[in-house]
Amino acid sequence: MALLDYRNDMQRCSRCSLCKWPPLAQIKSWRFSNVCPSMVWGNFHAYSAGGKLIAALSLLDGRIDYSDKFLEIVYQCQMGGACDVSCKVTRDLEPLEVMLELRAKCVEDGQLLPAHMVMIESLRNDDNPMGKLKAERGKWAEGLDVKDITREKADVLYFAGCRYSFDQDLWGIARGAVTLLKKAGVDVGISGKEEACCGGRAYEMGYRGELTKYAEHNIETWNTAGVRTVVTSCSDCYGTFKYHYPKVGKTMNFEVLHITEYLDRLIKEGKLKPTRKVPLQVTYHDPCHLGRLSEAYIPWEGVERKVLGQIVIQDPPKEFRRGTNGIYEPPRDVLKSIPGLELVEMERIKEYAWCCGAGGGVKEAYPDFALWTAKERIEEAEATGAEALVTACPWCERNFRDALEQDGEKMKLYNIVELLLEAL
Amino acid sequence: MALTGNVYQVLEDIVGSENISDEPVILDTYAFQYLAETETGTKFCARPGAVVLPGSTEEVQAIVKTCNRYGVKYKALSTGWGVWNAVSGAGTIQLDLRRMNRILDIDEKNMYAVVEPYVIGAQLQVEAMKRGLNCHIVGAGANFSPLASCTSLCGHGLSGIFMGYSARNPLAVEWVLPTGDILRLGSLGSGAGWFCGDGPGLSLRGVMRGFLGAMGAMGVFTKCAVKLYPWHGPPVLPMQGVTPEYRTSVPDNFRFCAIAFPNWDSFADATYKICEAEIGYVMGRQLPPGLVPLLLARSSAEYAQIRQSGMADEIMQEFKHAFLLVLAGGSLREIEYQEKALREILAETGGWIPSLTQDPEVQKLGFSFMLKADRQALIFKLACTFHTSFGAPTAWDAAVAGAKMGEKIKKKYIEKGVVVDDLADNAWGGPYEQGRFGHLEELFMYDPSDPESAKGAVEYIAEADEAVLKGSLGQPIGALPKQAVNVYGPACFNYQDWMRKLKRAFDPNIASDPISYIE
Repeated sequence: MALLDYRNDMQRCSRCSLCKWPPLAQIKSWRFSNVCPSMVWGNFHAYSAGGKLIAALSLLDGRIDYSDKFLEIVYQCQMGGACDVSCKVTRDLEPLEVMLELRAKCVEDGQLLPAHMVMIESLRNDDNPMGKLKAERGKWAEGLDVKDITREKADVLYFAGCRYSFDQDLWGIARGAVTLLKKAGVDVGISGKEEACCGGRAYEMGYRGELTKYAEHNIETWNTAGVRTVVTSCSDCYGTFKYHYPKVGKTMNFEVLHITEYLDRLIKEGKLKPTRKVPLQVTYHDPCHLGRLSEAYIPWEGVERKVLGQIVIQDPPKEFRRGTNGIYEPPRDVLKSIPGLELVEMERIKEYAWCCGAGGGVKEAYPDFALWTAKERIEEAEATGAEALVTACPWCERNFRDALEQDGEKMKLYNIVELLLEAL
Repeated sequence: MALTGNVYQVLEDIVGSENISDEPVILDTYAFQYLAETETGTKFCARPGAVVLPGSTEEVQAIVKTCNRYGVKYKALSTGWGVWNAVSGAGTIQLDLRRMNRILDIDEKNMYAVVEPYVIGAQLQVEAMKRGLNCHIVGAGANFSPLASCTSLCGHGLSGIFMGYSARNPLAVEWVLPTGDILRLGSLGSGAGWFCGDGPGLSLRGVMRGFLGAMGAMGVFTKCAVKLYPWHGPPVLPMQGVTPEYRTSVPDNFRFCAIAFPNWDSFADATYKICEAEIGYVMGRQLPPGLVPLLLARSSAEYAQIRQSGMADEIMQEFKHAFLLVLAGGSLREIEYQEKALREILAETGGWIPSLTQDPEVQKLGFSFMLKADRQALIFKLACTFHTSFGAPTAWDAAVAGAKMGEKIKKKYIEKGVVVDDLADNAWGGPYEQGRFGHLEELFMYDPSDPESAKGAVEYIAEADEAVLKGSLGQPIGALPKQAVNVYGPACFNYQDWMRKLKRAFDPNIASDPISYIE
């Protein structure tokens, strides 16, 4: 669908501001009662999801034109989708889809951000948006005794993703994930330097063609390799595989799992047995793309029509993506399986979790905003009394690390994989 | 028309460059408003000349004085939800009070909270509950601003039976008058704190807000003490479930149920008796029959399927003369007494508790949304917007008469196909203050993106106004003041003449934008 197809959604926004807060029933304190980083950072209504719908309508109707401020409003947003969840508690609208289409239109019209252009240039040259050479992609796995699926068969493909592949600080997580899989007896392989970006970040920034290109390439590669399961530790990649890849229309002959889902399964099957105590009180951050944005794509082709006078319905009925079926319990179950470890929850969790701040091209284009967003989350984590913040996404981890370093904060930061490794 | 001269620069000096904008993309998000199509035929009203985000009373005062000095109009909003927030023209400054968002104090002993304009009901409620207190939440839902509702609008929620309504709940107020002077209303003006909204001398609360509220035309309210009420539940209500079906267990000292009656007369009689017995905590017609299927549907398409299949016909029929009720006891003994009193009232009036609301999961759901008023926006789900008609605060029998009249008129518009077929019965409301009075407003749903539907909405409102006048049913709670003065003023001792005199006395430069109030 194109932006124009959502014109009715724009007109039907009631400017109720529900997109600015968690679902109202889930507000637990004044302090942590915002859900939209963009709105808190920008303050003018235009920065909210509702505001962006109005801006899009205004643009379509020729009331306004592109400007630097317009682009700032469009791009100063992590596209984390918490607004979408809050809106859809009571409405059948698609604010996040409108925001994605608005970015796609900006790109089509040549309204680009220099920081994003650098990422896309890198993507086109080296299959990653991080300005790194493709030849260096497999380095994270050097010395790791793991199959290379470009040369030999494996049941399971471990997909590292761009951040784990090129962020040396995080290589240990990816290596740890493979180690855990091998400990559980999983026949696992990697693609090494032949691995390519998932295309999800480009899609979120408005570059649609890149997603299609990588989706087609990756699906074909994995089908040809005959892998039965694709496992990734990257939440962004996971959300992209689950929601965006099915849209390109190619059959996916493999199951997609996030590492936390797979580890949870292996623990419950008795193939991994955490027995060593890890005496730590932790709180878990739900990554947007593993939580509310990880729901599987449900195709819908239909029309809008009216019944019973003015009731607007989708015919056939459409299953709205409301964040209901995100991956919320598996990471928590893994943590709960670790002896001695205590999980305490933050106020904003699961489908209404506050974003880490790194997504949507924000970390690259608006680094101050990205770090501010992370610090807000760290403050929320600290308010639980936990000693450590745990996550399951490299983008969250990178941004939290940067924020903690900048402020000299003492809170510990872990990936679930690290804690599980300690417990084995 | 952009701002003239150096007004923009002066305002920027007051609030800082990051807190003012005249960018068209920013301005249009303030021109776009809920119900705009009923006034302008489009989703947009006039675009303000600039939007300013003050962070303190001092900044508000400086802005207001600047506007008076340069002959520029201004208008403030808090959450900014509704066409009454829109400005009159491009030369007007819009003050978005979003940065003034703190709960300044919760006085447990004297049972009030002092809030700034951008505090919402859901925030205040959770903080109050931690201290054994609760706040009134109006029918718009928990995303409303208690300050705006208390000082500038007319609002009533289903906890009104126990907690009054918007006009009744403000205590002391900090008020930047239209000229920029600061008036501290009630006990605050005597340096005695926030506990009282009146005195010494004559009360100015009527001048401040009148019946419908001045909707931004009488200066800017920067702080307000609002009454809090007892909460006998736990400090935190733990929510179960994942979106969109949040629910919470009913505590042992609470009860939730629907109560149905065979006809409007017994419905009205039972309401009086419940109020006389002083046993209601939250009570009202939250789910008129046509909306009951929303309990079972996640989308409007599912709702339509349920309606069209006939599977909900029996339940809808049962809810024809029904309301939802939450009882709250300070102890288990008290809740047992209340339950016994309710049973006696039902026996006397022929009422019953529908089996639907005896289901444990429906109990959790119903209790949650009655108490937290978190899903009021469901009314937007089916056609994407709604408007209101009828519904004067009046004796309960008269409120019921309004509901009947609303049903009759709406049928015609349903037949025309311009509004949602909600069985012509969407009378929402409840009693206030243990039944001293109450209201039932006839809601109707239409599609704001469909010009025919929006036009039908306007015609329906006009016909409803005429029926209210002919039937002497009282001025509706949902009427917009600037229309109400023309329609209802002549029938009510020309009260608009007094409004105009007050406006001019308090605002000689007409700086505080009168568009939603009176010139």
